[in-house]
Amino acid sequence: MAEKLLKKISRRDVLKLSGTFLGGALLASCAPATEAPAPVAEPTEKPVEPTAAPVTEAPVAEPISGHVVVMHNLAEFTEDHVAAFQEANPGITVEVVDGMDPTRFFAMYAAGSPPDIYRLQAPSIPGLLARKLLLDLTPYFEASQLIDIADLAPANDYYKAESPLEIGTGKIYGMCKDFSPDCTIFANKAHFEKAGLPIPDDTKAMTFTEIVDAAKQLTTFDGERMLQYGYGYETAWIDRFWMNMLAETGASLYAAGYEKINLTESEDAKAIVQWFYDLAAEKVSPSPKNPSPAGWFGTDFVGATASMAQYGFWFSAMAIGDANKDAVMMLPGPTWAGERRDPTVTATGAIMTSATQVPDAAWKVFEYYHAGQPSIERAGSGWGVPALKSQWSMIPQGTDFQKQAYKVLQGELELNTSPLQFNPFIGETVVSNAWNLYLDQALSGTITFDDMLAGIEKDTNTAIKEGIDRIIP
Amino acid sequence: MESGITANQLERKESGQRTLTRNQRRTLTFYLFVSPWVIGFVLLGIFPLLVGLLTSFTNYDGLNLDTVKFVGLGNYARVFEDPDVSFSLVRTILWGLANLPLWLVLSFLLALILNQDVKGSGFFRTIFYLPSLIPITAAVTAWRIILEKNFGMLNASISRFTPEPVAIGWLSDYSLPGMTSIAIWGGLGYGMVIFLAGLQGIPDELKEAAQIDGANSWQVFRHITLPLMTPVIFFQLVLGLIGSFQQLNLPLLVTKVGIAASSVPPRPIYLYMIHTYQQIFTSGRYGYGTALLWMLFIGILILTWIVFWSEKYWVYSGASEGAN
Repeated sequence: MAEKLLKKISRRDVLKLSGTFLGGALLASCAPATEAPAPVAEPTEKPVEPTAAPVTEAPVAEPISGHVVVMHNLAEFTEDHVAAFQEANPGITVEVVDGMDPTRFFAMYAAGSPPDIYRLQAPSIPGLLARKLLLDLTPYFEASQLIDIADLAPANDYYKAESPLEIGTGKIYGMCKDFSPDCTIFANKAHFEKAGLPIPDDTKAMTFTEIVDAAKQLTTFDGERMLQYGYGYETAWIDRFWMNMLAETGASLYAAGYEKINLTESEDAKAIVQWFYDLAAEKVSPSPKNPSPAGWFGTDFVGATASMAQYGFWFSAMAIGDANKDAVMMLPGPTWAGERRDPTVTATGAIMTSATQVPDAAWKVFEYYHAGQPSIERAGSGWGVPALKSQWSMIPQGTDFQKQAYKVLQGELELNTSPLQFNPFIGETVVSNAWNLYLDQALSGTITFDDMLAGIEKDTNTAIKEGIDRIIP
Repeated sequence: MESGITANQLERKESGQRTLTRNQRRTLTFYLFVSPWVIGFVLLGIFPLLVGLLTSFTNYDGLNLDTVKFVGLGNYARVFEDPDVSFSLVRTILWGLANLPLWLVLSFLLALILNQDVKGSGFFRTIFYLPSLIPITAAVTAWRIILEKNFGMLNASISRFTPEPVAIGWLSDYSLPGMTSIAIWGGLGYGMVIFLAGLQGIPDELKEAAQIDGANSWQVFRHITLPLMTPVIFFQLVLGLIGSFQQLNLPLLVTKVGIAASSVPPRPIYLYMIHTYQQIFTSGRYGYGTALLWMLFIGILILTWIVFWSEKYWVYSGASEGAN
């Protein structure tokens, strides 16, 4: 038989077979999935009001078993955590896919096997909800023995939604692992003293005008060489800062329905962008023309080549190094219009995907990570404010700096305003990417400030339009 | 004849089984040996390429599988309307013009020097090749320390000779020469080794014959070494050309800032592949991004064809010379 077969198969036949195989594979890839990972959205007349995710069935009774895939940071959800969980839950196995990589998440989703639990930042929630990728966890939270809904810190509101355009209340789609008031400022007191400036009052929020005035005096040069930045922030979150500052004035970065970004037609927005532009133009903060020597501004601050860094409370765990020892203090987040609001803009946490085949097992893992031993360890580490209010007392207060930071933190936590509504139609980096792209050109003088605003607006609005087109069939 | 048959073969013959002929065994062996590569090539080469082609006709963004739309040639038309495409293409050509000739000339010169029969040449060959073995991420990190604007070693050295300390933006305003330096440093060893292999393939008797005929060193180089090295130069040129257009890592690594992946390389090194990367991974335009990649593929194909067409004018071919 083999001989007969071999006699018949020529090299040409092999090529034909390869072609057939390839064609078949292509057809298979183009065919609709037999098990759709998420329900298809119904066509709607109103493209800017995507609906929320499907309702979850109530959790089933024990015993629970299954293999749970978690896309998370292995430094946070360690092998020891996994081993301890599996020992306590013999029917459940856990596989941690290291990292918080959207591209990998997309690939797993495209392959029909997204992770059951996915680590993310709050600005991703509206977009994923609009795409029906999130599982409603409300029944799980309500039935949980480990998590009391009343114990959830306000930052968890970022994971609650009535719809993608109504974040803050409603169904619970996830929770923070921890959070920070992200606009707090870390200051190097020694730099202030050297510049002849008074040490900032840590009971009072500085205005952005006061910050830029101080930052200019703190920035030092030797000839053309910049020796010390006055102020810096995380440029990847620039649109979040703009949103928070605008919210103080009652304005929004986006037009109603989130179909457009408002930059060129909003004087409030222009003034805020101008403030950030001036920081870069006057070489007070890192920019594409004057990049951070260390590659990350946090390292510059720790190395004492920066005087003020706008980072969340989490930075308190690493703000002190040999170069700035005994000189670091934490300050409240600054105010733009005198009406301070909750400076939390990141709220890193996790969700469960609607495509999970093992929701009960995944919930057990989710619950363990957010309220079990891993959460207790995180609470005591100082890397952020625990997501459960009952764990706030575990925040370290051993050193003078930790005590001072804790005191400032209390004031920040009192600013319990509603969460920011992020645009569900664009990715997290669209605005900051456009900012970086056009800022470079504006600083080079190839375009004007107004051109820069128009460019950011054009790119963002194009992305929003495409997003609406993709989400709403 | 029967006596030549082994017991085993006789047993098979009696039971109706037939053994493979020598030719069939060779055919089977051939397919068994080539099949791992063929299967790998089809599954990991051809298949992704075709999926990429299909993607370029859609508005796929990584998550909209359920609502993905066929946009026809829309993404390809957009390539011609996007001002950053033409800008990044010009920057890529400038990058190629800065990097490729310099790399070719320097690595060839280095190979010529290290091809001399002098003491210690093996040591120097190793030293010059070492940068090629360093992972690019580590190399760029080291170069950032050298080229950094305010605290970099290069500006500090220059400042010793200027009235006031200077802060030249080797990784911002002058990022093209800055990046070219890194690329040349990292690629010189590889280029040198290839040229060295070519130089060592040139028969000594040809040079000796020329010298006997009165040729000086320059004439030997001009009329013997250089013509015989043109096939190697051609090879390096083709690979270098393709590599120039595909450059992505260096601009990304040179300008990576912050804890989130939203930094954009400065305009002087905003290359075509950077624009494509931005479209795919920052803006989620997988469809448009793959269209950009296919356009690049076509562009590289045309350029490569031009180089191959020009081969007959400048690349020495012993066979054709002989035929003539």
